[in-house]
Amino acid sequence: MTVVDQVEGTGGDWQQGGGRRTDEWSECLTLIAANQDRAAFTRLFRHFAPLIKAFALAGSSLSASVADELVQEVMLKVWQKAGAFNPDKAAASTWVYTIARNCRTDMFRRLQKFDTPLAEEDVFPDQESEEPFALLQGRRTRERIRELMATLPPDQVQILAKVYMEGKSHAEAAAELDLPLGTVKSRVRLAIQKLQIQIDR
Amino acid sequence: MAKFHPELDLLTEHAAGNLPLAQAACVSAHMNYCEQCRRTSSQLQALGSVLFGNLQGVPVGEAQLDAVLARLDDEPPLSYANARRETAGRTPAILQRLMSGDFSDLAWKKITSSLSISYLKTGDPNYEFALYHIKAGGRIPEHTHRGSEMTLVLEGGFSDADGSYHQGDFLLREPSDVHAPTAVQSEDCICLAVLDAPLKFTSWKYRWMNPFLQLRPG
Repeated sequence: MTVVDQVEGTGGDWQQGGGRRTDEWSECLTLIAANQDRAAFTRLFRHFAPLIKAFALAGSSLSASVADELVQEVMLKVWQKAGAFNPDKAAASTWVYTIARNCRTDMFRRLQKFDTPLAEEDVFPDQESEEPFALLQGRRTRERIRELMATLPPDQVQILAKVYMEGKSHAEAAAELDLPLGTVKSRVRLAIQKLQIQIDR
Repeated sequence: MAKFHPELDLLTEHAAGNLPLAQAACVSAHMNYCEQCRRTSSQLQALGSVLFGNLQGVPVGEAQLDAVLARLDDEPPLSYANARRETAGRTPAILQRLMSGDFSDLAWKKITSSLSISYLKTGDPNYEFALYHIKAGGRIPEHTHRGSEMTLVLEGGFSDADGSYHQGDFLLREPSDVHAPTAVQSEDCICLAVLDAPLKFTSWKYRWMNPFLQLRPG
């Protein structure tokens, strides 16, 4: 079996070209939406499939075969939903991540035999602001967070990874790291402040 | 505009996709009314995508790619020409999915002269997900919580000793918080309440009901 190399993508880089975000993954999504472009899909697959598999296996909650199933499910969704991707609103990687997160949550619930009329897509409907100011922010947010992430102390990154990638609640993260719940919450809060995430009340 | 919001830790767990389904649905319904929380949430999701992008990828076999490519023809891209947009402010779409019709079409169970409850089915086995209808000016008997209680005001408003709450306001009560909410005088109040343990009435007049207040999850 040949193994797909993890392609060094340029997904994180983007240039200001006529005020539009131009990165490789956004272009792939646009090509899929416009012409059902399989070559573009293959490029996306080679970049994202290994990440989706790692995400499925994080916290070692899913078996390898279920992880493979999740990879297929997420990539099929990416194919089907490419037309809903708006490059002005979000980075392509954020868009793919939210699909992966939703599919993983739905899969957990299926494995626990939840009988529910709700899918995770209902929990996260597409209802972001259409205001130009908010759009402009949305486009830059991921890039800013990615740069600032490198400045966070390891103990804060570790907890964020537990919560986001391993799917742990703050309480579960606290128990696992043998830390008081308050410490976990304050580390998350500090990290989020340093990443300049807007919390205006 | 909503004045009471989920705390940051709750918004973070929500953005990460970690909340129990019933609680996630309640936080999601709050966002329907709250531009600020939507904005914070979308940034918290961007944070998730950065962590996702920094993962050490796990190799995926070429056979997997072939398997997906072979399935593409069966799953043509969806058309979004007439994509339905969520209209902020109305009854949240996620609640509409759980109800057939509107509030008046639901089966309401009368608890006191001013309080009726309608239970909605989310499929979450650990949480009760219910709508509370309090008549204008009506009062819910003073009670405490044996577990946590999330409340979201959907229509009208109510007040208790700590404040007054209106459409879109979100509250999280911890066990042992005692309160006696009273609906505003001008209109009936409809709230969503998500509980992981039954209420417990504290006043002598209603205490006899406590054994009958069982949690109805699902």
